[in-house]
Amino acid sequence: MPEPVLCARGIEVRFGGLVAVDGVDLDACAGEFVGVIGPNGAGKTTFFHTLSGVIVPTAGKLMVGGDDLTGCAPHAFARHGVARTFQMPRVFRDMSAEANVRFGLEFAGRARRHAHEAFDDARAILAFLGLEDSAALPAGGLTPARQRLLEIGMALGARPRVLLLDEVAAGLTHAEVDATAQLIRRVRDELGLAVIWIEHAVRVLMNHVDRVAVLHQGRKIADGDPRAVARDAAVVEAYLGEEGEPVKRAA
Amino acid sequence: MTLRELLGAIAAGALALAALPWLASDFLLSLALTCLMYIGLAVTWAMFSGATNYLSLATSAFFGIGAYVTAWGFGSLPYALVVPLGGLAAAAFAALVGAGILHLRGAYFAVLTFGLGELVRHAITYSEKTYAHTVGRVLQDAPESSVVYWTVLLVAAAAVAACAAVRASRLGLALAGIGADEERAQTLGVDTRAAKITAFAIAAFFAGALGAAVAVRWTYIEPASVFNPFIGFQTVLIAMIGGAQTLAGPMISAVVFSLLTELLRLQFPYAYLIVLGVLLIVLVLYLPGGLASLVGRWRRVRA
Repeated sequence: MPEPVLCARGIEVRFGGLVAVDGVDLDACAGEFVGVIGPNGAGKTTFFHTLSGVIVPTAGKLMVGGDDLTGCAPHAFARHGVARTFQMPRVFRDMSAEANVRFGLEFAGRARRHAHEAFDDARAILAFLGLEDSAALPAGGLTPARQRLLEIGMALGARPRVLLLDEVAAGLTHAEVDATAQLIRRVRDELGLAVIWIEHAVRVLMNHVDRVAVLHQGRKIADGDPRAVARDAAVVEAYLGEEGEPVKRAA
Repeated sequence: MTLRELLGAIAAGALALAALPWLASDFLLSLALTCLMYIGLAVTWAMFSGATNYLSLATSAFFGIGAYVTAWGFGSLPYALVVPLGGLAAAAFAALVGAGILHLRGAYFAVLTFGLGELVRHAITYSEKTYAHTVGRVLQDAPESSVVYWTVLLVAAAAVAACAAVRASRLGLALAGIGADEERAQTLGVDTRAAKITAFAIAAFFAGALGAAVAVRWTYIEPASVFNPFIGFQTVLIAMIGGAQTLAGPMISAVVFSLLTELLRLQFPYAYLIVLGVLLIVLVLYLPGGLASLVGRWRRVRA
């Protein structure tokens, strides 16, 4: 078993009396594609915020590449190689698409090199995502789907070891989702990244990931091979009444 | 224009302006000095506040600290040493205070920075009364007006050069990222706290140095006159009217604004503040991007 590049232990987030995330463990190894699913309000995004340092967990421990980053600021996570996207694209609207990608290269990614040289250049990253024709345009003028891709480009610019994707498939057509997932698999293969992908739409994710963790009411109720998880009684129970039985169809 | 060319242009401009004491009358020289002072204040204000959208009203505090360094040090220390010391004192103060308040945003930050000026003013008034048994200080043997002019010119040129260098640097990129989306910049590896404190202190250095340089023009220095909140407000207005996202905008605006103020004051001594106020309102309403945005408009019209 290789050493996990990201290791979360007993992560808990409380907002006053509400426990949004309740003792969640998650590991991700280099080259591993992990999905995190869960119904609305399961605490997925909150959990994700803790993995990138945006929210400091009230309890638990976060290790990145062997270093303890619990309680550190987001820039420390970024500099240790954790890069993320946001659910609603948060590109720098007035900067060009190329400058958006270069931003990460200048800061979080400054001290590292990618395993694959082609990803050390903002233009090459844009070309990889199919955004080369938008390089000089202000990012705020791109379509929402393209801004979503640019978000991935910004994260890749940070030369990550762990790539956190927050619902990058939301609002995309099936064909677009498949294309995006293919892109992510390619990046993962070429750069040896650990990828953690959160998605509300289960079916999308199940076909692409190596492993899936299921959050429900702040707790992790399953973690393992997508096929096995899809048959898990607790998971089916959690999703019943929400999307029928989408998990079975996916498997 | 590359940074090297830009710095060359700034140096050339400063050299040309250095000839002014031989060419201009005393009145024009003092007018030019006011222009230069506001150029220095406005470009450094825009470097921090224009880029990050943190509206700072602390310029008067920094300016006044610099002026008080002159009030205390002038006479025992040479003028050439007092000016950088004034800058350093203001920068140290900005770094210290910035570490405490730069997590606040919007109105809270603006109000707190305004309060800083008042705080320092009262602190100095109190300490002068208690320990030095004085309410103000008299400066003797002030340097000649041409020396003061050259000093202010040098500080202003250095301020513009520093801003040009910051804009071209990673710090400048970090500040722009903070202004656009601070949390996103953090998740891309920017230590936003360090970047904000650094830029705040750089801006304070130049405001303090200008305060120290200009203070010798007043023979009598007291807290109420050197911690004048209008200096801070005027700096903000000049930078915003010029276009706080640009380097040239605040410079042009500082000259226009200083000349206009002087002209109105001489022509309409009773109504000049009214006219100035109306002009400000019109500019803010119809030219929110500042004077610098006129260039872009003009280019679009021609194209």
